[in-house]
Amino acid sequence: MAERRIATTKVAGTWAWFFQRLSAVLLVALLAIHLYVDHFMDLGSHTGDEPLITFGSVTARLDQLVYVAIDYSMLAMVLLHGLNGFRTVLFDFDMFSKRKRYVDMGLWGLGIGTLVWGIIILFPFITGG
Amino acid sequence: MKVSRFRWLFGKNSEFWPTNMKTGMWAWVGHRLTGLVLVAYVFLHLSFLSTASMGEADFDSLMEVTSQPLFVAMDFLLIVVVIYHAMNGARVVLFDLGIGIRHQKLVFWIVMAIAAVLIVGGLWALWDVIFVPAGGGA
Repeated sequence: MAERRIATTKVAGTWAWFFQRLSAVLLVALLAIHLYVDHFMDLGSHTGDEPLITFGSVTARLDQLVYVAIDYSMLAMVLLHGLNGFRTVLFDFDMFSKRKRYVDMGLWGLGIGTLVWGIIILFPFITGG
Repeated sequence: MKVSRFRWLFGKNSEFWPTNMKTGMWAWVGHRLTGLVLVAYVFLHLSFLSTASMGEADFDSLMEVTSQPLFVAMDFLLIVVVIYHAMNGARVVLFDLGIGIRHQKLVFWIVMAIAAVLIVGGLWALWDVIFVPAGGGA
């Protein structure tokens, strides 16, 4: 196992390691805000007549620029952390660590594509429908 | 592809055979599995949010479904997965900073205790939504 793990670290690289730790710490903070503001803050006063989260509630929240910034930062950090972590898992298998260039290209494409998709997803809420 | 090719992964002499795994290995396996679940969830989450582009009514009717007790119970499972991944991840970050590196098993159980408190807090917050039937007062 030790041999395999050292090999993986060598393949994945130091920057991947560094950004994984940095995004991890940022995500804990962003996720705490996300869960509290989006899901728990209004839970106590919620009547149960309609869902806690509606198109209207999300639109009202995203009317404040700071929440747009938080949501987009979180999306970028989640994709960086999630796909970078997935990359580490892939590199534990020879069939992927031998094809590092293609794995990297594929994951960058998936990450950037999903980031753009995720940014567009919030437009209806930001513009209010 | 022969099954025997995977003996290193699943065989009785493999490091992943349950009785061969010690605390650190369980923590590592758990971290990977929860990580993979969370990556899959992010894409599910985005696809749910994307219904907003079809209009306000489509989004709200999906939210009607996802606010049902069964879905909130799955949300609870999701936060269990998130809390485990975050707490074990905090342990990994601490080791990278050189903190607790000689007491990895102790640090694991300390972060798991914190995780347990957070999970109980989450269950407490979601209890009414999951277990109290809608329309009964409120």
